[in-house]
Amino acid sequence: MRVVPALIGSLPRPLGLAKKIELYSIGRLNEDKLEEAYREHTKKAFQKLRDAGIKVITDGMYRWDDIFNPLIRYIDGVEVNGLFKFYENNFFYRSPVVKGEVNLLDNPIPKWVSIAKEILEEVYPEATLKAVLPGPVTLAYHSLNEYYENLEALAKDYAEKVLTPLIKELEVDIVELQEPALASELSRATREEEVHISKETAKTVIEELGKLRKLWVVTYFGTPQVIPKGVILNVDLVEGSLPDGIGGEVGLGVVNARETKMERSDRIRDKLLKLSGNFSRIYVTPNTLLDFLPESVAWRKLKLLGRLGGE
Amino acid sequence: MELPILPTSVIGSYPKPRWLLRQYKLYELGKIPEEDFKEAVRDASVAVLREHERAGIDIPWDGEMGRSEMTEYFTAKIHGFRFYGPIRVWGNFYFNKASAVSKLEYKEPLVLDELKFVQSVTTREIVKIPITGPYTLAEWSFNEYYDTKEDFAMDLAKILNKEFKLLEKEGAKFIQIDEPAILNHPNEVEWAVEVINRAVKGLKLKVGMHVCYSNYYLLADYFDDLNVTQFALEFANRNFRDMDFLKKLTSQELGFGVIDVHNPRIETPEEVARAIRKVFNYIEPERLYINPDCGLKLLSRNIAYQKLVNMVKGVEIVRKELEKKGKTSVPFRTLKDF
Ligand SMILES: [Zn+2]
Repeated sequence: MRVVPALIGSLPRPLGLAKKIELYSIGRLNEDKLEEAYREHTKKAFQKLRDAGIKVITDGMYRWDDIFNPLIRYIDGVEVNGLFKFYENNFFYRSPVVKGEVNLLDNPIPKWVSIAKEILEEVYPEATLKAVLPGPVTLAYHSLNEYYENLEALAKDYAEKVLTPLIKELEVDIVELQEPALASELSRATREEEVHISKETAKTVIEELGKLRKLWVVTYFGTPQVIPKGVILNVDLVEGSLPDGIGGEVGLGVVNARETKMERSDRIRDKLLKLSGNFSRIYVTPNTLLDFLPESVAWRKLKLLGRLGGE
Repeated sequence: MELPILPTSVIGSYPKPRWLLRQYKLYELGKIPEEDFKEAVRDASVAVLREHERAGIDIPWDGEMGRSEMTEYFTAKIHGFRFYGPIRVWGNFYFNKASAVSKLEYKEPLVLDELKFVQSVTTREIVKIPITGPYTLAEWSFNEYYDTKEDFAMDLAKILNKEFKLLEKEGAKFIQIDEPAILNHPNEVEWAVEVINRAVKGLKLKVGMHVCYSNYYLLADYFDDLNVTQFALEFANRNFRDMDFLKKLTSQELGFGVIDVHNPRIETPEEVARAIRKVFNYIEPERLYINPDCGLKLLSRNIAYQKLVNMVKGVEIVRKELEKKGKTSVPFRTLKDF
């Protein structure tokens, strides 16, 4: 099969689950009940992904508030700050404030991945599960750096001292790194002065992580400016375009996760047909996080992706 | 019409009383009739309006007691939008993001009821009506119908223009266009300015524009092109640093944000006074209004109130200083004066 439907990043968090998390946060629901809710909703998501024909999946990131949280709560040297706009979306993330050398602390993420794998075994064993983490470059760009001499040093330490030990603990074959910053640095809308991470450094830190596990590097909101070797690069074809110099396996964001309008599958097929000669396998994905869509529309778009699967 | 120099105002939202939030929940669940809910909203409006007035605010509003959110309140009343379900804004907070599915049409007034009610209960001559602007409404909605975002926003501008004209006819003196998203896409600002100008076309009243948590240097290039009387901007949030972009604000007024709305610490009157003296380096007192950075709704109610009280006290310190120079009042300027 050369066109394979895949999920990247998050699914919209179901309202029912959000209510349970809120109840837990005010002490009206105990931890076991919350854990039960997470598992139930994850199971439901896996069943729906199976029915939609999505072959490579994530756990929907139901336990994550945004692509950085809660990971950044488990990093020594980092404090969690107020809310910031995630690119130009009306979606906000909590930002890491780097106050000292970053080091990974004890954290539940490997356990969460194992739980998701168990559930997957039960309802959809044929699927491939990716674990999702923020990439070092995007993490550095979204940090308020009060310690490192420059962003490059911070990105390197995020990779070496946080992501490396974490990836080693994950029981999956593929790790997805959320790296929108490779395609879209911080917007001028919020900051006038920018500090940059050079393309070479960005490429090297990601390729180093690629030695630990197969990586699926997800970019969006633009055309990737950095092309790490030996990874599956996910390119946003809605808001960016295919850069030169990639072949083999590629992820293509062909449905727009920031608009409710449904794409026409015949047009997407035409597009894929033109590109198919260049790649051994194309994973078709949403262009970005499905969190930006209402749940009902997100699933409709996943079903559309599912129908694109096959030759 | 004259106002005391450094007129004080609010940006819009204010913490909803806890009892009102309970009414919202009950109403959502269908457990109280609409009439009861509306009565609760009106009572809360009076309470908040009084709170603003008691703090000494010259140009108050009702704290948006009847609005659950800053786009849905408008999109729900504009024909051509549909709702597919809530999306997350952060954590477990969701909002109903609308999708434009057909040509947008103005079928009913958007905020006329609010204005009439506030007019009927306020003791102040002027109130400020905050309304989400056409660019932000488009930016924070999905678009299934329009070929371009510009067309989408322009239709919203035409609809808002009808509303503004109606409000003007009904005695509105001061509206504020809230455009927190206007600088989201630097390459769209140029046409966004046209869109705003379309929304205020033919108006004579006072029009403020509020932009927050954005790169103001980008906005400053368009100060002269925007057909508004006043820019209400945040400064406490950035510790009153980096204000040089104000050099480009040469004719319109500044609504100077002196209260941090994300921090529960209550500013002292002296801090407020110091900030105002600092901004005099850029804008003369006659072109300054004083307000919080942004809506106060994220604070707890008593802290929001104390912040307003100290804001006014700080203004009064500076007013005394200005009095010695014979500066005590300013004319209420509207679009006609520009
Ligand atoms: Zn604001």
